Order: sequence, then C-alpha cells, then structure tokens
Amino acid sequence: MKRSVCSGCSLLCDDIMVKSDGIYIDEVFGACLKGKEKFDQIASQHRILSPMIRKNENLQKASWDDAIQRVIDLIKKSKKPLIYGLSNSSCEAQLKGIELAKLINGFIDSNASICQGKVLDNAINTGITLTTITEIINKADLIILWGSNAAESIPRLLNKVLFSRGKFRMTGREIKTLIIIDPVKTASFNTMGVRDVALRIAPGKDLELIKVLKEECCALDSIPSEGAAGLDKDDMKRLLQHLSGAEYGVIFVGQGILTPQKNSNLINELLELVQMINIKQERGRITLTMMGGHFNMTGFDHVALSMYGKRGALQFRDNQISDIDDTIIKKIEREDFDCSIFIGTDPISHFPMSLSSKLAKKPIILIDNRDSATLQLSSIVLPTAITGIECSGLAYRLDHIPIELKKIINPPNKIPTDEEILNQIIQKLKSEGGS
Amino acid sequence: MAFALDLLQGKVKADDCPPLLEPKYKKQYETLKELLGSEEGVEKELRINVDTELCDGCGICVTICPVNARYCPPSLSGKAPDYPPEKHQLFQVKGGKCELLELKYCRRIEAEGRERECRVCETYCPREAVKIEYV
Repeated sequence: MKRSVCSGCSLLCDDIMVKSDGIYIDEVFGACLKGKEKFDQIASQHRILSPMIRKNENLQKASWDDAIQRVIDLIKKSKKPLIYGLSNSSCEAQLKGIELAKLINGFIDSNASICQGKVLDNAINTGITLTTITEIINKADLIILWGSNAAESIPRLLNKVLFSRGKFRMTGREIKTLIIIDPVKTASFNTMGVRDVALRIAPGKDLELIKVLKEECCALDSIPSEGAAGLDKDDMKRLLQHLSGAEYGVIFVGQGILTPQKNSNLINELLELVQMINIKQERGRITLTMMGGHFNMTGFDHVALSMYGKRGALQFRDNQISDIDDTIIKKIEREDFDCSIFIGTDPISHFPMSLSSKLAKKPIILIDNRDSATLQLSSIVLPTAITGIECSGLAYRLDHIPIELKKIINPPNKIPTDEEILNQIIQKLKSEGGS
Repeated sequence: MAFALDLLQGKVKADDCPPLLEPKYKKQYETLKELLGSEEGVEKELRINVDTELCDGCGICVTICPVNARYCPPSLSGKAPDYPPEKHQLFQVKGGKCELLELKYCRRIEAEGRERECRVCETYCPREAVKIEYV
C-alpha cells in the first residue's frame, strides 16, 4: 500500500492510501466521501463503457472507428464549433483540446470561466497575493471563509488548514482564528471555537460590507453606527482588527462571492480591499485562495496562459488566436455556435434552462466517463478513462501547485484517455485535410 | 468556579451542590452527571459513536485527536496517518467514512485531571457525526 493523489476535488490530497493489486481497488484510506465517490465511479452503473451514436432518436452502441468518423464528419461540417469543459482532464489533455480548437477554428473555454477564473481575470488589473496550502498549514493564524462552505464542498480543506499543527508550532487549532462570512449557517460553522467570529451577513450584501471596510481602511471611524450589510459595528471592527493584525491571513473565496451582485464587480472590490489591508498591515499579509470544484480547473488557466497569455475563452480564426473578447455564456446566449464538444462536464445540468435549451438545439459531442443529462441529448458519446485512477497526468491544485497524478489500475474495455481521444481526432482531421 | 474545578478534579460530586438537586435544575443536573461520566459508585462505560450516515470523512477527528497527534506524526500536518494504524490510534478514515479503532487509549479513559474531559472530536465535527456517550 502506498500514498496516492486523490482526484476527487481541487485539493488533490496527496496523502490518501490505496490498497490495490493493479487490477481492482480493494480499499481506500484517508480519502473523504468525495474522493471515495471518485473511486466508486470505476465500477458505477452510470459508467459509460462503449462509444454511442444517436440513431433514430436513440443512443446506440457503436464501434470506435464509426464514432470517431462521425465526430470528424460533424466537425468538418461545423463553421463555429464550441469546446467546453476540460476541468476534469489532465493538463496534457487540455493542451490537446487547445490544439484541436486551433485546428478547427473553434472557441474553447473551461469551467473556470463561470467559477474561480473570474478572480484571475480581475487580478490582471489589481494584482493578487496568492499562497500555498503548505504555507497555510505552517504559518496561517487567520482563516476566513467568505461565501464558502468548505466543510462540505472540499471536506478535507479545514482538516488541513485549520486543525493541523504545522512544522514550526506544537499548537494548531488553538492559535488559529476562523472567521466565516456567510448568510447561511452551514456545516463549517460547527468547526468554530470560542475565539472565532461568525458573521451572518445579509444575503447579497457582500459589496456593501467590502465598501464599508475599504472606507474604514482609508479613514478611521467611518463605519456607520447602525452597522451595515446586516452586521453590527462591533463585528465589522473585529473583522478589520483581525485582518490588519494577523501575521498570516488567508481568505478562501467561495462560490457565494463569485455570484454577481447588482451588476457590480464584487471580485475587483475584494481584491482592492486585500491590497489596501496589506498596505496597512504591519505584522504580515493577507492572501487569497480560490476554491474551485473540479480537480484541474486551475490547470486550464495555466495551460492557456502559458500558450496564449489568456486565462481562458480562446477564440481561434484562421488557425490563429483572435483578440475577440467573448465568454462561453455570451456565445451560448447569442447562439453563436453550430456544434459543441463537451469534455468531462455536464453543462445541460449546470447551466440555467435558458442556456441549456439553446445548447440542446445544436449537435453535441460528449467525451466523458459517466452518464449525465448532457449524455441524454448528445449526438455522439465517447467514453474515457478516469484521470488519476486509470491514467496518469498533471493537474494543478487549487493553490496553483502542479501535482503529478499516477495511474493505479487499467481502464475497463481498454478505454482511451481524454488526451488519446483528442489526439486521435486531431490526427484524423489532419490526415483528411483539416476542417 | 472553585466548585467547578473541584468537580472536574473529582474532589467533590455534583450531589454536593444543594441547589442542583432542586427540581427546576433537574435537566442541568442530568447533563452534568452525563458530562462527568460516572454515577455514584458505578463507573459508566465510554462509547464514541460515529454516525456513518452523517460522516463525510473530512478527517478532522483524526487530526484534532491529541492521542493521534502524539503517536501519528503525519496527522500533525493534517495528513492521513500511516497504514497499518499505530496501536494507540483512535480514529482512521476508511472508505470515505470515519472509523473508531481503539477506544482504550482515549484521553477520557487514560488521562488524569482536566485532560480527562477531552471531547474535541465531538466539538469540532462539522457534520455532528461524532457523539461521546456513557452507557
């Protein structure tokens, strides 16, 4: 039995232990329920084990050659293909995805665009102070969960950052202060101790809180006496004291704060607040960490940035990157696509009905390993191996650290990986004379 | 406060406080008896129940447990302890759920004085899956 990396979520725990004979996985130790579910997918009844093609309104099993040929035919007919997903694939597959988008003059984006990618987009203007999980374990004395329920979305995160003792101290939880800013009393509130601060903010009032804190940073005693954003004045002062007095503080940004509020740029305001506090800070610094869901959401940002200097939303024209500033949501809203390729994601479930119905009107090619709502509407389905269990690859952790995922067992039916499938499509397109 | 400390150290009993025996404080009296873990002359048996329906295997109990921290060095950095488990190890996460291994080394049985009142695993469980009981 040896330690492996779990690809259940973006924390990529590298300490889980897997008991396996190389054919089956017998037992998993140390992984949370989310990680265990990932291993359960190997033999799940929802697993896709063979390619499928839609014939007479029904999905029917097909051979690999037929399925790939149908994909090629569909891509060749398409003038404005859309590629979306890749957050559950290795960086190697993401590279191939971008290569395919370039070859077919398509638009490619990852799930990060509707999640943590917004923070990086804004950071271009304001700058951002990042940190790593190891630094947090060893040094942090202030942990803020802002709009995130870490205890349930990334179960082992609080275990690592809040309850660990680290390299330089014999005490852990005792010296760490936890502040939770959330309108809902989530499971994370149960991990609070006597010195921690629970801030039950009014729903949709994060911007108001940030603005008051920014004003207080510039001029003392500018907090209204009646408080703001559903919080009283003392709570806000306490929050600011902790922010400016911490030796090593970290704010975990969750989905709650990534949701747009009143057409304002909430992320930009938060980043500016952090910069202002860091100028005011005398003892240390405050850093930000984004809590992505999919295990390699950060990876696509890095791959796209290193290749084209853009975090995502890459539009290709004449096999070159185009300057057009578009997003996946705008593209679907305008119906500016005629075919979509989804890799390791389920947009029909994730997107609102207004967008899903537009996606459903055009042919869908799905590359995934499990049954989903998207599969029910797809024209062609290609099954893949599960990255991190059935194939190796590189993935980026939520703190932007690359972690090597290792293969533990062979995939059933010799199912190829995302990278192999995309490569096969690229090679076939090239041999048949491009798009 | 002095009475409370004496109570924790076992120098006095809950029954030594006359107001606690009044009917209006019956609930508090029973809670205190449960917390102290023993009844006059009869030692109750400690049980740590983990509700596997609620548990999501976050491993906070594994990391926060002072006995695990002492005998399983990886848990100091929030990592999963080694396998096979060390003989003193109280908790481990197996198959996405917390599992109680060895209760006899729990502080509530082994330690002296205030350390005996340890209930960190129950206090910090985010899913309220760990319950310390005396039966």
